[in-house]
Amino acid sequence: MLEASGLSAGYLGENVVEGVDVQVAAGQAVAVIGSNGAGKTTLFRALCGMLPVTAGRVRFDGEDITGRPAHRVARAGLAYVPAERHLFPGMSVRENLLLGAYPRRPDPSAFGLVFDLFPRLEERRQQRAGSLSGGEQQMLAVGRALMSRPRLLMLDEPTTGLAPKLARSAYEALGVLKGTGMTLLVAEQQVPLALSVADRGYVLENGRIRLEGASEDLERNPEVRRAYLGVA
Amino acid sequence: MTVEFDATVESEAAPLGVSARPPRSLVRAFWPIAATGAVLALVPLWLGDSRLMMGLAVDALVFGAYAIAFNVIFGSTNQLFLCVGALAGVGGYASAILADQAGLPMAVALALATALATVVGGLLSWVAVRRSLGVIFTGIVTLAFSLSFANLVLGQRGLTGGETGLVVAAGEGSFLRERVAAFYLFLGMLVAFLVVFRALERSHIGWAFRALRDSELAAELAGVDVARYRVYAGLIGSAMLGITGAVYAHSDGFIGPSTFGFGHVDVRVLVMLAFGGLGTLLGPVVGTVVFAVLDELLVDAGQLRTVVYGLLIIALFLGFKRGAVPAVADLLRLLVRRARSRIGR
Amino acid sequence: MTAVVLDGIVLGLQFGLLGVGMTLVYGLGGVLNLAYGQAAVLAAMVVAVALTAGAPALVAAGAGLLTAAAGGVVLDRTLMLPVYHQRGEHRVLLGLLLTLGVAFVVDGLLLWRYPTGALRLTIGGEAVPILGVRMRAGSLWASGISLAVGAILLLFFRATTLGRAARSVIQDEVGARLVGINPAAVRTFIFALSGALAGLVAVTRSMTSPVGVTAGFDFTILALIVAVVGGLGSVAGAFLAGVLLGIVSTVSAFYIGQYITTIVLLAAAALTIVMRPRGLLGR
Repeated sequence: MLEASGLSAGYLGENVVEGVDVQVAAGQAVAVIGSNGAGKTTLFRALCGMLPVTAGRVRFDGEDITGRPAHRVARAGLAYVPAERHLFPGMSVRENLLLGAYPRRPDPSAFGLVFDLFPRLEERRQQRAGSLSGGEQQMLAVGRALMSRPRLLMLDEPTTGLAPKLARSAYEALGVLKGTGMTLLVAEQQVPLALSVADRGYVLENGRIRLEGASEDLERNPEVRRAYLGVA
Repeated sequence: MTVEFDATVESEAAPLGVSARPPRSLVRAFWPIAATGAVLALVPLWLGDSRLMMGLAVDALVFGAYAIAFNVIFGSTNQLFLCVGALAGVGGYASAILADQAGLPMAVALALATALATVVGGLLSWVAVRRSLGVIFTGIVTLAFSLSFANLVLGQRGLTGGETGLVVAAGEGSFLRERVAAFYLFLGMLVAFLVVFRALERSHIGWAFRALRDSELAAELAGVDVARYRVYAGLIGSAMLGITGAVYAHSDGFIGPSTFGFGHVDVRVLVMLAFGGLGTLLGPVVGTVVFAVLDELLVDAGQLRTVVYGLLIIALFLGFKRGAVPAVADLLRLLVRRARSRIGR
Repeated sequence: MTAVVLDGIVLGLQFGLLGVGMTLVYGLGGVLNLAYGQAAVLAAMVVAVALTAGAPALVAAGAGLLTAAAGGVVLDRTLMLPVYHQRGEHRVLLGLLLTLGVAFVVDGLLLWRYPTGALRLTIGGEAVPILGVRMRAGSLWASGISLAVGAILLLFFRATTLGRAARSVIQDEVGARLVGINPAAVRTFIFALSGALAGLVAVTRSMTSPVGVTAGFDFTILALIVAVVGGLGSVAGAFLAGVLLGIVSTVSAFYIGQYITTIVLLAAAALTIVMRPRGLLGR
């Protein structure tokens, strides 16, 4: 469904990400793992049009979306949840969700889907997004992305600022989503969590793909174990 | 971790100012001022016969002085003081009122008026700094001050002559009223201001200015008391404005609400500096000359003159972020460098 | 006293509308539009010319509003583009300076073409007593229109998709992009809306007193004061501030004097910035 070939992108003339090839098939969950500064966020921004691409192509469902502005990529069915979330702090949970479906009014079942996944959000429907806790904000960010019934959901470090228990339940929710057939692309530092949900993974190091493969293979890979799983 | 999101990151920290260091040697630092002074000193030889032209030349010098003062406040420390005219007006009206109505000797009135303008300007700076007002809010507050001052002048008719303006008796019969003598006096003040500007640049104060322009946060962390230096700039610039306004009042003999109004003074100063370059030494002078010529050319255009000013402001601030002259100078430097490398090959 | 306060409310409602246009453009684009007052005057002149040419009142008013809105669109799509490329304070500064230039150009052109132009709408009808004060038809119409438009605006921003989208761009532009909102398109729309609002204020104002071709900068400063006091970016804040300042304005003008009144309004803005920068209802 999503295919990046030879993708390079960066800031102020310097490439942070170089020659990256990524494939995400429909219904799959794919993880991009790497430490801080590896270029995960840069890659994701380039994929969804937040950052200009200096080389390479991005294809979504066969269509070339390289360089397309972010709002049009969102409308094409690729929903992106950045690490900073970018919620609308002065608006209520409900209004944030409503806007998720822009430019349409949301499908009546969309609210149901989000509230089933995150019952806490239903409780806090009228609350200002800015006053939510970290975990609730993360739920809202994902929920908002889901309101438009995207075909692909991209999440950049969804566990940012979350306590371990909340991080686990976040990935449980992602697991449920995957179960409904949603295609997922997740960037994550916390490798065990990422690989628990993902079918396949890419290891990003210094802006380049170092390794790729099925998540079981990556989990067993000695380099991955040493670098990211803290095993000698 | 917050990352600067947009790819079009503005790499220059100073919005419209320059961060270059002034020349080290005394001679290289000050000869441009001496040269400028010498050249301008010749103007009366050329225009001296026409009272009208000399009057215009004096006005041009006055605006040049205003521009240097604005350069000190905004060019040096990014404080958008949209009250240049008003601060000069404080000096002008205070001096005229103190001399004519309170009977003080002109020199005393001048000194007190300058002091008043200095205090007012310093206060504006201090408030802006204490409340961490950014460029826009400082601009709005100083604009509010400027308009309030104009309304104050209009309202206090008994003291200021209101709409009709004030005839300034003090100074009558003195050399101040002679156009040529006034020209040299204002030229002297202009040169003095330039010297002060350059001396500031070369001092530790100027170093602090450059630091806080480049990055306020970094400067604070490096131990620069940004607040204090901003207030210094405010005080010095306001003093320059106050004394210029005061001397102008006695020299011209007549001041009115429009003499020091925003539309008359501040806008022109902005255009002048857009031409000549903010933060540069001679930018104000270049801007003054260009503007004086332009003004003369447009004198019959009536309202279209305003249109031309507007177009100039747009073109200049759009095209040349640091001023037309620095941009041209940069271009020339680039061409010279290219030519040199071609010859060297 | 009641009469003065009622006059203040009438004035205040127009102040409010005026402030809304200014505050929206700042909230959405980070631009302080110093050419805002000129949009109002432009509309007034178009209406005046249309009326003189014999057009029916509503058509003339529509033409005026449309011209001002179109002007807003042109400005946003041309000069504002380099401004939007800047960020933060650089953007406001450049926007300020460029719109100042535009203000001069429009002002100069209008003054050159119509040196004594002014718009005055006389609304026929009996004076109606409200709270014991006889209000002229003009004042009533002006207030009625301002209230209606104000209510529509508040409803628009609260309850419609486009209105919500506009608010979202003010709150988090990146977030807006993420949900498929095109901030540039929203900004253009808001610029057009603010132009139309300026034009509307000129028309309603002319129902109570003439709007002259030189009124441009006065409108701009007034809009700025109201927007600042209400809280830059807050529509409801602008309305509230408008009404309050309108009452302050008429009371002060009645009991003290015109010049002091202007100073009081300016001081209100300055004090807001110094003491409570987010204004009455801003965030």
